Amino acid sequence: MKKIDSTFWNMLWSLTLITAVAGGLLGYTHRLTEEPIARATKAGREKAIQEVIPEYDNSPIDEQQTIVVRNEYGETPTIVYPAQKEGRLSGAAVECSNNTGYSGEIRIIVGFNADGSIKDYRVLKHEETPGLGAKMNEWFRSEKNDQNILGKSPAKNKLQVKQEAGEVDAITAATITSKAFLGAVRTAYEAYIETTKGENHE
Amino acid sequence: MELTVSPAPHIHGKRTVSQCMYNVVLALLPAFAVSLYFFGIGALIVTLSSILSCVIIEYLIQKYLLKEKPTIGDGSAILTGFLLGLNLPSNLPIWIVVVGAIAAIGIAKMSFGGLGNNLFNPALVGRVFLLISFPTYMTQWPLPGTSRWNYTDAETGATLLSKLKEEGYQWIDQVSMTDLWIGNQGGSLGEVGAIALLLGFAFLLYRRIISWHIPVSVLATVFLFSFALNLGGGESLQDSHIWQSAFDFALIQLLSGGLLLGAIYMATDYVTSPMTSKGMVIYGIGIGILTVVIRQWGGYPEGVSFAILIMNAFTPLINNYIKPKRFGRK
Amino acid sequence: MNKTKILLNGLIKENPTFVLLLGMCPTLGTTTSASGGLGMGLSTLFVLICSNVAISMAKNIIPDKVRIPAFIVIIATFVTILQLCMQAYLPDLYETLGLFIPLIVVNCILLGRAEAFAAKHTPGDAFFDGLGIGLGFTVALTLLGCVREFLGTGHIFGLPVYPEEYGSLIFILAPGAFIALGFLIAIIHTIKTR
Repeated sequence: MKKIDSTFWNMLWSLTLITAVAGGLLGYTHRLTEEPIARATKAGREKAIQEVIPEYDNSPIDEQQTIVVRNEYGETPTIVYPAQKEGRLSGAAVECSNNTGYSGEIRIIVGFNADGSIKDYRVLKHEETPGLGAKMNEWFRSEKNDQNILGKSPAKNKLQVKQEAGEVDAITAATITSKAFLGAVRTAYEAYIETTKGENHE
Repeated sequence: MELTVSPAPHIHGKRTVSQCMYNVVLALLPAFAVSLYFFGIGALIVTLSSILSCVIIEYLIQKYLLKEKPTIGDGSAILTGFLLGLNLPSNLPIWIVVVGAIAAIGIAKMSFGGLGNNLFNPALVGRVFLLISFPTYMTQWPLPGTSRWNYTDAETGATLLSKLKEEGYQWIDQVSMTDLWIGNQGGSLGEVGAIALLLGFAFLLYRRIISWHIPVSVLATVFLFSFALNLGGGESLQDSHIWQSAFDFALIQLLSGGLLLGAIYMATDYVTSPMTSKGMVIYGIGIGILTVVIRQWGGYPEGVSFAILIMNAFTPLINNYIKPKRFGRK
Repeated sequence: MNKTKILLNGLIKENPTFVLLLGMCPTLGTTTSASGGLGMGLSTLFVLICSNVAISMAKNIIPDKVRIPAFIVIIATFVTILQLCMQAYLPDLYETLGLFIPLIVVNCILLGRAEAFAAKHTPGDAFFDGLGIGLGFTVALTLLGCVREFLGTGHIFGLPVYPEEYGSLIFILAPGAFIALGFLIAIIHTIKTR
């Protein structure tokens, strides 16, 4: 077959054919993958929640609530995933963010026990300096000096850096990141308290 | 080896490359003495290991990798090592110093073709390489005069600039200017003693190793720019206190951090700075502006080394646009 | 045309990364770890083979004047298919490579091979060209990823070789990518000319 000439009609039908085939292929793939993608996204979220909160037998993602916390950082939208065991609230995972870090948003998920103490946390997204601020995902979890915040409760402990008269060791040479991180933890706690109030009234 | 640093026509002089290098080393000795006084044994260990590893690495690369005649006798590796050492905190473990020397000599100098061909100042490349690679080690500054006999376990604190950046300017009045002049402050071991650094500057000017253009234009730019910035942030220009605090602020910007060390000893490196006086002034102003911009708005508290490296990259462009007058032309 | 020759041409003689210096954006962006480099290399390999074969088959019904938009549509189709599948079945890898997957569309290796090879050769030859170039890209990215991960964190494919605190962080950041790539090119050039 000889190559076709670049006449207007040739170009028109050629491009139409190619885009139509491409569109058909994409539509088909989309139909095939739509469900697995939704499942994978949910599983990813579920994994993050599982890592930070106590055992549960409900479905935290389906029962999630969005709460706007107003504090010194302005209005922060947070997502609370309540965890229940045998019909009673056993804690919650709270996803929230803080913009006062060294660069960009710090997004974390904090798990609380029923009494409000911190079970565990994960940093979901950040743009802090590698090697300094970026260490926060491990720093506040390691049992060294006064770094650890696990098991502490923002209600009883002053979860602020020592430079601000708090009781937590800031990451070495990354005080600003540490302040922002702890700010996010306190915001998460406020959101958690907000939801438990609702529970008590029920 | 002889190196020609100016465009034709040339007049033959008796001074050789190595004499230049040793004169600069000599000019740095007062600053080194200050650091020995304030930081003690750590300053000695870091500087010596830096010089030694630079010389050894250059020798090894020339002898075994490039298979050419080693030229470590010209003193340039010694100077690079000395400057690199002066740019590091005095409690830095030796293995990190060696990594810095590899970056300085291996990456910045030899892979560009050795002395005279490097685009960037080797000592500064070494320092910035370490700063980015080992930020925890490179931002822990030993307190001056407290633990002279401790090496890596010396007591540490923040530098003035990082404190200014993290905690704001409210306590600027409490800064002791005398401490800044004599070097009683935290920082890289060679950058703290302002008087000693200026003494070396005078010596270099007297020996005509460097001209005044680059250091003076860098320092003047930083001073005026910081002064204007601080004044712009004040409320009322009638108040004499505001002028005073803006002056203090600008002076602190000059005397703290690596500005003097960078402007006098590293921005003036022959190979990586422009050839004409006019070019030098443009280059110096560029360094000054970039330094203040990084200190004020950048991610790091100190920006001199980045500023010099960035302007190093502009040197060929400056040389291209500002050419010396041809002999016999008006 | 000799299939082995086409294959080796892409892998060594015209290696897209070390010789042609094409596709630098994903090369520098995704090689912070060996597995990232490998993942990116294999993704590109997949798209390259598919688009090369498809373009070679369709070359006679594509008029010259509109060949570029036609090539881009074909490439973009395969990239999107890859993206959807990866999101569905390899979510972790998708998370790591992120934005760089859709960016394969504008990777100049793909359009370059379509224009320079696939549009002038048979589908069989185009397949081997895609395989060769794609493998060359994969090998180069994996190698660069190994070097950077090793020097930066002390790991290779996530396996610890030496303690992480001795790693030079710069190598997993942008400047280290340039330094590592420069030295790798120099070393490979030296070996080849010897």
